[in-house]
Parts: sequence; C-alpha cells; structure tokens
Amino acid sequence: MSRISKPRFNWLGLGFLAPAMIVVVLFFLAPVIMTAFFAFTNMSTSTGITGGDYLLSQSDLRSLANTKASAATLDALENAGYRVDDAGLARLAEAQGPATADEFRKLHEGDLFTSRRDMERALKDLRQHRIRSTRDRKLAAELFTSSVMDQRFDTEEAFRAALMTSGIEAADHDTLVDEAYTGWIWTTKNIELLASLSSSWRYAMNTAIYVSFTLAFNVGFGLFLAISTFYLSPRVAATFRTIWFLPRVLPPVLYVLMWYWLTWDTGIISTLAGYFGVAPRNWMLDTGTNAWVVVILINGFVGASLGMILFSSAIKAIPASMLHASEVDGANRWQQVRYIILPQLRWPILFTSSYQTLSLLTSFEYILLATDGGPGGTTEVWALAAYHTALNNYGGNLQYGLGAAYALVLVVIGIVTSLLYLRFFNFRELVSKPRIEQ
Amino acid sequence: MKHLTLGTTALLAGLSAIALPAAAKDLTITVWAGGSSDADAFRIDNIKTAAEILSAEYAIMGEELNITVEGRRDFGGWEEFKQGVTLAAEAGTAPSIVVSSHLDIAPWSQAGYIVPVEDYLDFDTFPLNDIYPNLLEIAAYNGIQWGIPQDAESRPFFFWKDTMRGIGYSDAEIAALPERVAAGDYTLQNVLEDATKAVDLGLVEKGYGFYPRPSNGPDYAQFYQSFGGMLQDPETNKLVLDKQSMQEFYQFFVDAVEAGITRKNHLGTDWGQWYNEVANGKAATWHGGTWHYARYTGKEGNDDFFGTIEFSLIPSGDANGRANTVTHPLVYLVTNQADDQDEEIAAQLIKIASGPRLNSLHAIKSAHLGIGKQQSNIELYAGDQWASEATERLLSTANAQPNHLSYGAYSEAMFKGLEASWTGAQSAADAVADLETELRAKLGDELIVR
Repeated sequence: MSRISKPRFNWLGLGFLAPAMIVVVLFFLAPVIMTAFFAFTNMSTSTGITGGDYLLSQSDLRSLANTKASAATLDALENAGYRVDDAGLARLAEAQGPATADEFRKLHEGDLFTSRRDMERALKDLRQHRIRSTRDRKLAAELFTSSVMDQRFDTEEAFRAALMTSGIEAADHDTLVDEAYTGWIWTTKNIELLASLSSSWRYAMNTAIYVSFTLAFNVGFGLFLAISTFYLSPRVAATFRTIWFLPRVLPPVLYVLMWYWLTWDTGIISTLAGYFGVAPRNWMLDTGTNAWVVVILINGFVGASLGMILFSSAIKAIPASMLHASEVDGANRWQQVRYIILPQLRWPILFTSSYQTLSLLTSFEYILLATDGGPGGTTEVWALAAYHTALNNYGGNLQYGLGAAYALVLVVIGIVTSLLYLRFFNFRELVSKPRIEQ
Repeated sequence: MKHLTLGTTALLAGLSAIALPAAAKDLTITVWAGGSSDADAFRIDNIKTAAEILSAEYAIMGEELNITVEGRRDFGGWEEFKQGVTLAAEAGTAPSIVVSSHLDIAPWSQAGYIVPVEDYLDFDTFPLNDIYPNLLEIAAYNGIQWGIPQDAESRPFFFWKDTMRGIGYSDAEIAALPERVAAGDYTLQNVLEDATKAVDLGLVEKGYGFYPRPSNGPDYAQFYQSFGGMLQDPETNKLVLDKQSMQEFYQFFVDAVEAGITRKNHLGTDWGQWYNEVANGKAATWHGGTWHYARYTGKEGNDDFFGTIEFSLIPSGDANGRANTVTHPLVYLVTNQADDQDEEIAAQLIKIASGPRLNSLHAIKSAHLGIGKQQSNIELYAGDQWASEATERLLSTANAQPNHLSYGAYSEAMFKGLEASWTGAQSAADAVADLETELRAKLGDELIVR
C-alpha cells in the first residue's frame, strides 16, 4: 500500500543543516553579494571602503571649472586668503590672550596674506608674546581665514555649515558638496568599461583556451592514470598514484619554482637540448605557444591527480565479476576499458568535468606565479585580470570597483554553468528516491 | 586649522589656551617601511634616534615623553605592503609613520589615510628649509605638503667599460660618454649600434647587448621621455599620452629584440640572476638605479665599480627627446590617528630624522642620494665617491612621475603596451592604439592625447 506523505518540517533536520548553511552563507553568498555590490561602485584606494569625507582640493577646483559653479564662487574658493580683520583678531584674543592679539593688531592689522605659509610667517613677527609651539601658531593662522579649501569635514552638514559661513553663493552649494565628497558612489561605468575594452575580449578568449585545454588534459590524463594503474599490482599502483599526487600537495610556489628550473633558458630542458645543438631558450616564455603549453601542463598535472583518485575509486567499485566474465569471453584490455570501465565512469567523468570547469574559471594562482599573464598578456586570463586590477598597481591607486566588475562576470558565468550542468546531469533524478521505496 | 573640522579647531584652540600641568606621556610610534632590505634599516632606525632627541628636547622643556619605536619592514613586496597599509588604515589600526612611494600620496591623501605634515611642521626651519625644493615638491600634492622625502635616487644608464673598449672606444671616449649623453650627442640609436657590435664581436652573448630592468617600474617612463614624451601637462595637471613618442619608445624595444641585443622574453628574468649578470660584465649596456651600487659592490662582489662601469643619464631617443632620468623618492608620511598629538609627535620625529647627519647614514649605507644641501658638508656623505658623483651627474636634471590619482592606471597600461610589443604579441602601432582606447576609457577627462 503506498501512501504519499507530505514532508514534515523537522527542527532536528534544520539543526543538522545549520553548519552547512553557515558555510554557504559565509563562503559563497557573502562574497557573491559583496562582489556584486563592489562592482557597481567606483571604489578605489582613493575613495576608501568605509565611506568618505568632504574635502575641496586644488584638483577639485580644476574640475569645478567645468561645472555650472559660478565664477564668483570659484574666485572665492581660490583666493580666500588670510585677512587680519577684527573677527580674526577677536578669535586670536580668545585663543592666545588679548595681549597677543593687541600686539599682532599693531603689526599686521588689515593685511591680507595669500598663502598659509605667509600668514604663519607674519605670526612669527610677534616679539613680546611669541607663540612658541609650531602647532599653536598653525592653529592661530587658521583663525584668520574662512576658506573651506583643503579642510576635511566628516559630515555633509558640517561641510554645508562651513559653506554658509564662508559666504559662498547658496546656489552652488549642491555642486560643491558633490565635488567635495571623497567616498565611493554607485555607478554602472565599470560594466560599460568592460564591455567597451578590447582587452576584455582577449581575456575572455584566453580564459576559454585555458579552461578547455586544461580541462581536456585534466580529465584525459586523470583517466589514463586511473586505468593504467588499475592494471598494475596494488603496491606499484599505490606508488605511482602517490607520485602523481605530488603536484597537488606541493606548495604552489615550490611547484612552480620546479617548473622554472625545468623551462628557463638556464634550466634542465635547455641544458639537455644543448647536448643536441639546440640553442638555449626560455621554454616557458619564449612564445605565446610555449607559455600556453607550460600553463596548461602546470595546472593540468595538479587537476589530473584529483581525476585519478576519483576515477580509480570508481573503477574499483565495478564488480570484479564483470571483468572476470569478460576475460572468460576473451576480451582484451582495450575491450574491457571500452565496454566495461568507461561506460561505468560516466558520472565521475561528468562530475570531474563540471567541477574542474568551475574551479579553472576562477583559478589564476599558478599562472600568476609562472608567467604572470606573459608574454605580453598572452596568458592573462579573466581571473588574473581581476586580480591585477583590484590588488596590484605600482602607482598605488587600486581599482576595487573595476576589479569586482571583472569578478562579477565570473560569478554570473559560474552560476549559469552550474545550472546548465545540474540540468545536464539530471540532478533531480540522481537524488530522487529509488523506485523501490515508492 | 586646515584639514580638521572647525569644531575641533575651536576645541584645540581653547585647550591650548589653558596651561596643562606637565604629565609623563608614554607613546608607541610604529613605522612601516615598504621595499626595504637590510641596507635600508636606517629608515626605521633613524626614527629611533629621532625619538631619543625629541625626548631630550621635551625633558628640557620640563615634559616627560617616553617614545617606544616599533619598526616593520618584512613585507613580501610592494603590493603586500600597500595593501597592508590601506587595510590597516580602513580598520583604524594604521602605523603612525609609513615609508612609501611618493605616488601613494595622491590616493592616500584623498582617502584620508594620511595627514599633511605641513599641519604640524614649520618648513621655514632647519632641516626642512635645507631639503632640495624639487624633492619637497615631489612630496606635495594639490598644493599641500603631505610628506617629507626620505631619500632620493635616480635611474641611470650603465656601460660596461671593458666591452666598450672591445668595440673600439678609448678610455677618454668612455669617460666622455656621460657628457655626450647629456648633450644629446649620444642617443639610444647609438646604444643600438654599439650593443649590436658587442654582440656581433662575441663580447657579450646574444640578448645581452642592452639588458633592461626585468620588471615594471618607473624606469620605463624614462624611455618615453627620451622620445619627447610628457607625463603630465604642467598647465592643467592632466596626464598626457603623446602617441608618437609612445610608439617610438615601444619601437626601440622591438628594434632591440630584432637586433638580437635584448631577449624577447627578457621581462620576468629573476632579479637575483639579473643583478649578478650586470654587476659582472655579462651585459654591454643596461639601466638600473643609483641604489644598485650597494648591490653590485656588495653581494655581487664587484670590487672595482668605477674601473668597470660608466654611468650616465638615459640617452635621448631622437631630436624631439631629451636625455633624462626619473627620481622616485620614498617619502615619510604621517597617518591619520585618533589623537592629534600622536600625529604631531610622529611629524616631529620624521623632521628630526630628515636632518643631514641622520639622512646621510641611510644614504651611504643603502647607496641612495641625499635629500638636503647640507649633506655635502657631512664628511660621511661628501667623502663617498658614488653619492657625490651621482648627485651631481643625475639628480640636478631628474624629474619625478606625477602625483595624480590616475597615474597608477596610466603606468600599468603603458607597461602592458610595452610588454605586448616587446614580446611580439602586438606591433608597436597596435599597442599604442590599444593603449589610447584603454586610457581614454579609464581616464576620460583627466587625459590629454597628442
């Protein structure tokens, strides 16, 4: 008698799921959300991450010249200067005492100084009431200006209040507030920029080459290793598998260093080829083809070891009786592989392919260490370009927003590919209850 | 007070009017120095010495100030250092003083990570009024003095004397090379010819006629300038892409590869291997930095630098260009701290550390150039042949790269184009076309194309 029961909500089940949910949220959801968020900002070193202040600098003045800010405003900002007037002297009297202010009034009343440096020099003229500390003198100098230039304000309100005091036309305040903001703003420019740059297409093509060739090598060589070791005695097979597992367990820096030794013009290949009269060359960076071969092999050997392990265990799961029966029927090794082993490896192969596609799309560490995208950008893949943009810049101003836009493209491709794979795999069928239980 | 809110200004002004009783102040000053090896230890050690002097000054004034200086320079590289500083600044745990490239001033000042030293220091007093004005200018941005130059250097062109003799130069002719280069009489075309001769005669191996720096750096802007390129427009402060100069600069490296004097895959050569080769005569000509002197004569064991190597400005490329050299000083910067007084003390420390005596310790130990005029009156400095000759021959004509928010993007793109044409991935013309597209898209209004 079969009765379809509704799934019941189970608190215990939720409890068991919780750790996985936390991991998914922390290591998948949060980075994806942050990438998407960053990608639509102009965030860089200069805008900071946590928000901005309000600061009008000389370069802002130059940009303001192209806006609708009035000439009077620009002039007021540029030439505010330091004026020794009654208001300033009153502030000085409050800060340094009336005697100091009186002495200074006698020396410089009515004077106008264009630069802060000149104002400070004027304050040094004080004799009876010297302001001894540099810091105090600088503070005193600022009492004589109402300029907002080169001052950092924490909030928009403070900045607007200062604009009011400085007597700048109210009509221009909004323009100045926009210009003065130092933090990041929302923008779609990163995506537009990516779409317009010809380098984007090159990086995309490089990524396609990298992923497809490395994947083919990973799966092909992994299969070859799994099948060939299957026919060896267990002890020999174990030894071989351990050796082929080395690329994965070696620290990447060491592993790539060994490739240097192998491929550089002073390396092993060049030395050996030298015995046959071949001129030494850099087998890693000499041409684009060289670089691709090395990049694919470096990543391929790492990936192949994973395939080897998965395929080996899958082969072991094939009932030995099937192989024995085939031998009785006179099948040779090739026929065993072709008609028994490979058909049973369908799922592991599909799994490895999909898993490796996704991980190769985002992996760039071995390329970074080996060719760093060279020669001349030939092996610059998408993920490496994202890294270079967001985190590597000799001039100092890292482009977090643009780098995140690069990464966002990978996230989208990754999610779409995963969905396609799930469909292709017929995932629902894989996890559905065996018919016998229904 | 500039750079602080008016409220804080009033508060501080009010406070300074009240006489506070003297109390002992304990303070820890942290110094992070990027790109610093053992030879550059004085970047941090000088701050320690300065702390002793400042404490003594405070003691005389009747205040007790105990400063503990903690230094750090074990960073993996410039990227790690810069990321470390920015992330620490975002988290509010930035070191008090950083030693970094002057190019960081533009982004870090805009982000509010650093405070202007001119808020705390009187530049009319010694030793600040003794520092070369062009170096001080390099530590300023938007008309504000953000930092103090920590050292100076420049990036000369080098000739291996034996090889030059081998292709027919007399000793007198070799000695005249620096002047001929400066006068524009010996150009990069002569470098191509002479290096080709050296390779053809078998004096150096193929690819070793002209042996450039193996990674990106300010050095490559020099070759752009050699062909008349300009980095920044002095009127508008916008960055400039001079297409013809850029293409000629790229083409020079393409020609060098075709002539067999430079390896096509030279970029990415291991720095250790590179130093060893140039210091021991494996290359006919190359370019490097003034601080290389310490490495060549130290670790690489060249005992007779002046007998084996001649140095000059980077030669001009053609009649439009000029012989030039770029100086890329590191600067002392004071970071934004919760307490203004910490910033003030940090600023005073870097001022003391910039005195001629302390700075000469660093300059001579690390083979950098001095920052102040009075250093020629310090025997340690004046007695050093390299420091005095290099200062005279190079520093007076040196220019720096612009402090500009977009210069990082500009220089990365410029190098990418050079790499593409050098390795043969693109022609020089195509690389410049791509460069123009990329710079126009990324810099927009901040770029002038000629």
